[in-house]
Amino acid sequence: MAPLTTASDEHTHQALLSKLDIYAVPKPFRNPHYKAHGRRNKNLKQIVTEATRKEASVMATQNNSGVSTPLTEAGTPSANPVGRPPNIAQAAQSLSTLVLEKNSRAAAAANASGNGNAVGPAATYTNIESAPSFHPNSQRRYCDITGLNAPYTDPKTRLRYHDKEVFGLVRTMTQGVVEGHLAARGAHTVLK
Amino acid sequence: MAPSATTDVPAASGRNSPKPTPARIWSVSDPPFEGFKSVDQEGFARSNSETAIVIDSGSSAVRAGWSFDSKPRLSLPPLVARYKDRKLNRTFTFVGSDVYSDGTARGQSKNVYEPGSNIVNNWDCMEGVLDYCFIKLGVDGQQGSIGRPVVMTEPVANLGYSRKTMSEILFECYGAPSVAYGIDSLFSYSYNGGKHGLVVSSSYTSTHLIPVLNSKALLSQTTRLNWGRFQSAEYLLKLLRLKYPSFPGKVSDPQAEDLVREHCYVSQNYEDELSRYFEWTGLEDRNHIIQFPYTEPIVVQKTEEELAAAAEKRKEGGRRLQAQAAKMRLEKLKQKEEELEFCQQLQDQLQNIPKKEVKVLLESEDFDNEVQLEKRIRDLEKSIKKARNKDLGDVEEEVQEEPTFPLLDTPDEELDEEGIKQKRQQRLMKSNYEARQRAKIEKEKEKARLAEEQRLDDERREGDPEGWATDRKIARQAIIQKIKDRERMKAELGNRKSTANQMRMKQIANLASDAPKNKRKRGGGDDDTFGADDADWGVYRTIVTGEQSDDEEEEDLNKALKDIEGQLLRHDPTFTEESTREAQTDWTKSILHAFLHGPYPYDSESQRDMHQLHLNVERIRVPEVVFQPSIAGLDQAGIVEIASNILTERLAESPYRDDVLKDIFLTGGNTLFQGFEERLASELRAVLPVERELRVRRAGDAVLDAWRGAAQWAGRRENKTNFITKAEYMEKGSDYIKEHALGNASSF
Repeated sequence: MAPLTTASDEHTHQALLSKLDIYAVPKPFRNPHYKAHGRRNKNLKQIVTEATRKEASVMATQNNSGVSTPLTEAGTPSANPVGRPPNIAQAAQSLSTLVLEKNSRAAAAANASGNGNAVGPAATYTNIESAPSFHPNSQRRYCDITGLNAPYTDPKTRLRYHDKEVFGLVRTMTQGVVEGHLAARGAHTVLK
Repeated sequence: MAPSATTDVPAASGRNSPKPTPARIWSVSDPPFEGFKSVDQEGFARSNSETAIVIDSGSSAVRAGWSFDSKPRLSLPPLVARYKDRKLNRTFTFVGSDVYSDGTARGQSKNVYEPGSNIVNNWDCMEGVLDYCFIKLGVDGQQGSIGRPVVMTEPVANLGYSRKTMSEILFECYGAPSVAYGIDSLFSYSYNGGKHGLVVSSSYTSTHLIPVLNSKALLSQTTRLNWGRFQSAEYLLKLLRLKYPSFPGKVSDPQAEDLVREHCYVSQNYEDELSRYFEWTGLEDRNHIIQFPYTEPIVVQKTEEELAAAAEKRKEGGRRLQAQAAKMRLEKLKQKEEELEFCQQLQDQLQNIPKKEVKVLLESEDFDNEVQLEKRIRDLEKSIKKARNKDLGDVEEEVQEEPTFPLLDTPDEELDEEGIKQKRQQRLMKSNYEARQRAKIEKEKEKARLAEEQRLDDERREGDPEGWATDRKIARQAIIQKIKDRERMKAELGNRKSTANQMRMKQIANLASDAPKNKRKRGGGDDDTFGADDADWGVYRTIVTGEQSDDEEEEDLNKALKDIEGQLLRHDPTFTEESTREAQTDWTKSILHAFLHGPYPYDSESQRDMHQLHLNVERIRVPEVVFQPSIAGLDQAGIVEIASNILTERLAESPYRDDVLKDIFLTGGNTLFQGFEERLASELRAVLPVERELRVRRAGDAVLDAWRGAAQWAGRRENKTNFITKAEYMEKGSDYIKEHALGNASSF
């Protein structure tokens, strides 16, 4: 419990902490009988896995499940009813998403007069992720050490480098350092 | 290959001069503890049961206030520290920037969100943050309820579980009468009066592109890029660790965020700017120095007076010694003079007395005969003269006369015992003398040989200048290679597993072993010829790794290199000052040096230099990731590609497309980089049809407008129906949601 600043001593610091502490502050707005259930902290991966499983099973009743009240606003023009073309990269991650997209599109085509949100597949946390790039710009290479453009690749370490001076440095690097540089661009070897 | 791949072409003016010390040096600071925030009763007093509490629960900061406020009353980082102090036997809870008030609290603080995402994964901390917000807003709950509606922001396409748990807490723990959820960037867009447009929201943990038609978000066309300020800071930190692996200081996460915020900017033309980044002119402006705190090692500085006193003391000592020596010399001289006088008197005496007594007298004075006495007198005279001369300061060149060795020619038989002894002595002296002469001749011969070599070399140079130059260059290359080999060797010895090191261990083992090295050659007997060749001693050089080992050799090589380069400089017109190794290894030409230390010299001993970070390429490399995610190994399309995909393909048939193009809207803290708007505009311009009008604008306040939008939305009467009431929650379940224009759709 060392004070962070030199201006305070042990005593004033203790007083400050007591003042800041909200544990002892009365919280009348809390329901005294509320008790959080035990394992409610889940990480993103767990939540996403559960959500995907659920998506697949509730699919059929998506549009009238009663789990939501759709926005009803007369005169909302129909948005592009075509929806997105199926995204292969994401579909590979979760096959169910692909099925979902296809079914939803069929449903959307059937009632083209629906509003924006009902049209097309429902957006889920996973399927709104941007797909890998197909633009030639993503093939540009930059030096792993300096960040400058890199016309060369060292076949031994797979590091991209800018010129012979940087190459000199690359050749003095140990394996760990090389892996560190590769990891910065996600090209390192991952042992499973 | 790209032109910039070749090494730097030396400037016409020759070497670059180091830049003067920079005008501005940046430093880092820790996130400040903002002090105690008092409870704000005023807002609660003004509110009624219809007034909503608006909470923008962002992953960089949670902002809270009343729906009638013009800006949030509270803004706090989503950090909670809850721990039990064993000494005081007391539980503490600190929230927001309060955790920075104490070392332990800071160490115990936990983030509400999963690092790098906008999903809550610590609900106890979330409760802590909400507690804090309601306390500081002065909520005076009755019967265990806050008694005010709540408007909360949530991520685009929030996960069902997160919303469910949040609803559960808000309704069951805090007894909220009604709750509404909305998307932060859409609130910001509506606050800035947008109707049709493309919302580009780059915030703390992610970047979203949301097309909005007729004030209604098209969630199915929304795309997320998993990159935001958090990832930028993390990436910068990674790059800095690789750049300065032995950096003695520590860069904390909030400090890295500050660095990104303060120093990074979006380049308008990345490729072009990159290729010119390390040009000498203007490098001092592109290179930012971050100085970390350091302690200068204490060097005891003596004052001028002290130094003078010490010098005086030393001189005094010297003088005293000199005086002592002079005194001693004088005494000796006196002694000698006395002895000389005595000897001379003796000699005079001897002339006047008979021969018989002479012998007795001589013997009493320890002389064998008169010759010896004469010799003694001669010696004394000589040494007195020498000593006098020395005192006077002029040293007379002793005339070197060629010594004669008369006795050597007389055969032994003609000599008595004394003579033989002398003859032996003379022989010794003669051989000594002859050896000296031989050495002299040898020296002259060597001189002549060198002169001859020089002459031949000159002749060759005049006859065949090109061949001569080539030879010299080859020799020079060989030396450079040797120097490089040595450097590499030194580097390799640092690695325990390298071949060089293994060879070294082998050699040490060989040297230490007593067994004959070559067992097959045993027949040859003891053939230890170690040392016959000078190169044999090199083995010690290869096994000694200490600092002193290679200084000498290196100096030799450097001297030889200098010699050759000097000759080449004098006689080869194609070999200029630029081609010398010194010029080529000049740090002002080194890209790596510019990368690591900017345009300033680096002293590896200086604590100040060691504690410096130089940000140069990173300044544009880090924000560039949003445009080119592949730089950081993110396998997703950049925002320009996503935007052009949305604008030209997904919205191709929409009647509102042209309106959307006229309003590309930027919001979120990560869009605050200088040049972000311009870059996005120019890149989008390049992919869109030329006749289409394109306009890019930024939110009035990219950070706070989301909260303001939410407050504005909450204040509108027509939105009351979009709140989920407690009754609805009880009836329809915890993941029930009402869809509205600025919120998420149900996703199950």
